[in-house]
This record gives sequence, structure tokens and C-alpha cells, in this order.
Amino acid sequence: MRVHVIGIGTAHADDAVGLAVADLLAASVLPEDVVVLRCARPLPDLLDALDGADAAVLVDAARTGGAPGSIHRLRPGDLARLRSPSSHGLGVAQALALAVALGRAPARVELVAIEAGQMQSDVLSPAVAASIGAAADAALQIAREMQDGGGEAARDA
Amino acid sequence: MTERRTIEVGAIARVEGEGALHLVLEGDRVVDLRLEIYEPPRFFEALARGRRADELPDLMARICGICPVAYQMSAVHAIEAAWGVAIDPGVRALRRLYYAGEWIESHLLHMMFLAAPDFLGLDDAMQIAQRHRNQVERALRLRKLGNRILILLGGRSVNPVGVRIGGFHRIPTRAELRALADELRPARAEAELLLHWFASLPVPSRPQDVELVSLRHASEYPMNEGRIVSSRGIDVAAAEFETAFEEVQVPHSTALHARNRATGTPYLVGPIARVMGNLDHLSPAAAAAHASLAERFASPDPAASVFARGIEVIQAMDDALAVLDADLPPPAEPQAVPRAGIGHAVTEAPRGILYVSLETDAAGDVQRLRIVPPTSQNQAQIEADLRALAPRILAIPEDEGRRLAEAAIRDYDPCISCATHFLTVTVERREPPCEST
Repeated sequence: MRVHVIGIGTAHADDAVGLAVADLLAASVLPEDVVVLRCARPLPDLLDALDGADAAVLVDAARTGGAPGSIHRLRPGDLARLRSPSSHGLGVAQALALAVALGRAPARVELVAIEAGQMQSDVLSPAVAASIGAAADAALQIAREMQDGGGEAARDA
Repeated sequence: MTERRTIEVGAIARVEGEGALHLVLEGDRVVDLRLEIYEPPRFFEALARGRRADELPDLMARICGICPVAYQMSAVHAIEAAWGVAIDPGVRALRRLYYAGEWIESHLLHMMFLAAPDFLGLDDAMQIAQRHRNQVERALRLRKLGNRILILLGGRSVNPVGVRIGGFHRIPTRAELRALADELRPARAEAELLLHWFASLPVPSRPQDVELVSLRHASEYPMNEGRIVSSRGIDVAAAEFETAFEEVQVPHSTALHARNRATGTPYLVGPIARVMGNLDHLSPAAAAAHASLAERFASPDPAASVFARGIEVIQAMDDALAVLDADLPPPAEPQAVPRAGIGHAVTEAPRGILYVSLETDAAGDVQRLRIVPPTSQNQAQIEADLRALAPRILAIPEDEGRRLAEAAIRDYDPCISCATHFLTVTVERREPPCEST
């Protein structure tokens, strides 16, 4: 089973954490059939990043009101409760819904969301930077569970 | 005895930024109409002060996630005007390619994801994808090409960093440019097919008696260069922008309202103004697309803006290919010497003309920066459009009226975040005051 681990973000403040996790994973030794990708914008980049995947783990910054750097494991259905950071309403949840509508969504999708602290400066908050390793391990763990037949079905979420 | 009905709509969806529409009606009469922009002011003009001018291209890219190229291009041309920097023909051509990428990306985002749901009576592009999968996939493929261009020249598609005074930090290789040309060549027909699909949709009509303002260039469809011209006789250089137009503060908005300085009246910038003012410079394929939709351009109609965008996607494809096929030699290393100077530039952002004026000191530090984005120029016209639309809004059920107002605002593809310095719709219906007997 081919699993895409997709870091989502821009080079801006704590929004960059998804990319930082992807960079760390890409530099490490990965299990067979685990592919790491980077994605700047959910639309259109995420749709392309999902192509060819049997399952996907998305890694992105999020704001749920928790402590900066805390890590949440979410299913696509959980996204509706989060406020979309995209002012056009074209965030991860919408990109996943579009992928499903276009028949381009893998059977399983899960998210590793890292609580963002600040969105002002160009560097990661210390607490967010400190969570990169744990978030990378969490993403890899979910990828392995998916390959072992575990994980949650995305379409049901 | 006054009956007051208030309709709360919530922030207007599918626009960039935050704002609200407040509409007060007495009987059939509009007594008050305010497009309220409450997106916080962002003070870009102030925070540029004292910074080195060469920081501006990256700084300006942060103003907008959708049209960073426009801000970069107006800023860099203003600096070059202030310093007397000669622009290499290769740089000039690559800037046109870069801007074409942004037009393609921004226009397709608006056409399929922001506007198309209005024409189909659907909530979003996800619902469109369930019924018109091929068209949504086509729009995504085309938009991705715009993205490709931005990444090639800007280094990345979000907040691109490739622009420098006098040129680009990295010039793409011939092989990269040829590969891009190979991807773009079949895409023009795709863009034509997509426009045909939009032409088959029930796109409304709302002609306006409004002055159209765009750039006009002697020999090409306007992007980075040209004089500012209008359908009512304005013809000025970029440096004379402030003689022809003025911005006024209004209490209900953090965006300034622009108007024609001589007449005090609103004007329209953007794809409608560009297409109608530059028909003779459309590429053959874009001109053919316009001819097939000519009745929609008989008079200025913001509701036809989706067609203007579709025509401009074809134009941008052709412009991009023209640059790529010209196969110009790589530009020389930019020579920019900081000096004291004043510079002005106007370029055509996807939403319309974007004016930048700045002043640098002898060290090249920014002493003054002024930015007039297209949405603040269109805001007074949006209000005029809605005022004319109010009787229709009143005559239909509240939900439909709200959709009608929102769709009308979306026709302008307002970029509210950029304009602050946008939408909850509130409609108050008051009974006309009782006449004394």
C-alpha cells in the first residue's frame, strides 16, 4: 500500500511546521511505499499530492485553542470543527471534499495537526519547532498502521 | 410607526477578506447603502518606511496570497522608475510570463471556485465537481499551469521571492522554459473549452453606466506597461495617476474609496475594463472568444466579468507562449544603483490597475510608499451597482436577495484583504414615514 505523507504549509511563521515535518521525514529512512511530499496550497497542490496514493497522512498547522506545539490526530470529518484559515474557504477540508467528488481521494486519509502559536514572525515558535520530531513520528506511525490495515476510513468521516 | 426588518447574512462568502453590506430601505427607496470593510488595516505603507527598497519585492508579495505578482510588479517598476534602471528585454519578457501565470491562476480560482456556484445555484465547487467533473478538472489543470509559472520565476507559488530590482534572482534554463511551453501549448484549447462551458451557463446581465479605466499599451495587451486610459477620455501616464483619481476616507470602511477626481464619480477597473478598452490587442484566439460573446460586451456589465476573465485566460496563455517561443537570450545581470528618487508605476493586477508611488533617499531607503489597490478603486462602483440592484433585492424573498447581492459583489472579485486600508449583509426595511393627515 502506497502512503503519501504530505506536509502542508507556507514559509510563513508557524504555518511552516507541516513543511518542516515533511523535510525531516524526507531526509530520514522511510518504510517501503511511504512517499513524502510538500504542498503549499490545499488547492490545487493537495489534489496533485494525493494522486497515486492508496492512503495519505496530512501534516498541517492548525488552531484549535490548544497549547502551541501540541499534536492532534484528526480524521477529515473533524476538520469541519476547525475554522478554515483560507479566506476563500478553500482549505484542507474543501480540498479533500473536492478530491472525493473528483474520485481522486485515497481510501484513507488522516491528519496530524500541530497547534500553531503565532502567525507573525518568519520563524517557528520554539514550542512548535520542538514538536517537529514528535509530529514526524506520529505521521510515520499512522502511515505504518495504514499499511498494516489499520487506520480510519476517510470517506466515512 | 416604523417597521424595521434586519437581515443578518454573516461574512460574505467566497471573497478574499472580511466585510459586510449594510442596506437600509424605506418602502422601495434606498436610504442608506454602505459596503463596510472591517478587515483590519494592515499598515504596509508605514512599515515599508525606512526599509531598503530592495526589500520591497518580498514585502509586497505578502500583501496578497492571490495576486502577489501584481504587488511585486508595481513596486519593482516604481523603484526602477525612481532609480532610472534600464530593463533588459529578456527581463521584460519574463515579467510578462510571470504576470500571465498570476492572471491564469487568479482568474481560474475566481471563475470556477468563487463565481461558478452562483451561476449553477450551488454552494461550492465541491457540488459542481459532482455534476460537472470534467469542467472542474479542466479548471484545476489550467490553474496548475499558472502555478507552475509562478514557481518557475517566483521560487514558490505562495509569497513568491524570485523578483529583484532589475530582474529575477534566478533565470530559468532554456530546458525549463521549453518544458513549460510544451505544457502550455495544448492548454489554450482547454481554456477555450472552459469558456464555452461558462457561456452555456445562465450568467446574469447587469449593464452599468460606468467609466472604464485600464492601462493601454501601444502594441500589446496591457500588463506591466502603458498609459492609464478611460472610456470617458482620461489618458495619463502612471506618474499622473493622482491628478486623475483621488481616494477619500469613508467612516464605514477601513478601505479608501477612489473616484474620478474631476467628476467625483466612481469608475470600474479590472477584466471588463481591460477587455473593452483593448480589443485591438487581443490575440487571435482571445479575439475569437470575445467575438463569440460580443453581445455580453455591448456595454459595461460587471456580471459579464467571468467572460472577460475567460478571455484573459486565453490571452495570458498566448502571451506566455509568445514569450517562451521568442527564446530570448538570458538577460544580463541587473545593474541597479540606489539613489534618491521618486517613482510611480501602474500595472494590471488580475482585479484591475494597481498604483504604487514611492520615494527613496540617497541610500536607497524607502521614505514614502503609497499603494492604491484595484478593490479600493472599485468599491464606490460596487456600492453604486448595489444601489441600483436594491429594488430587485427588495422584490424577492430574503434568501434570494442575499444571494443576488453577494453574487453581484463577487463579480468584482474583490480582494478585501488587499484593499484595507469586506461581507455581512444587513438589510433594514423601514416603513415609509407616515404622512400627517
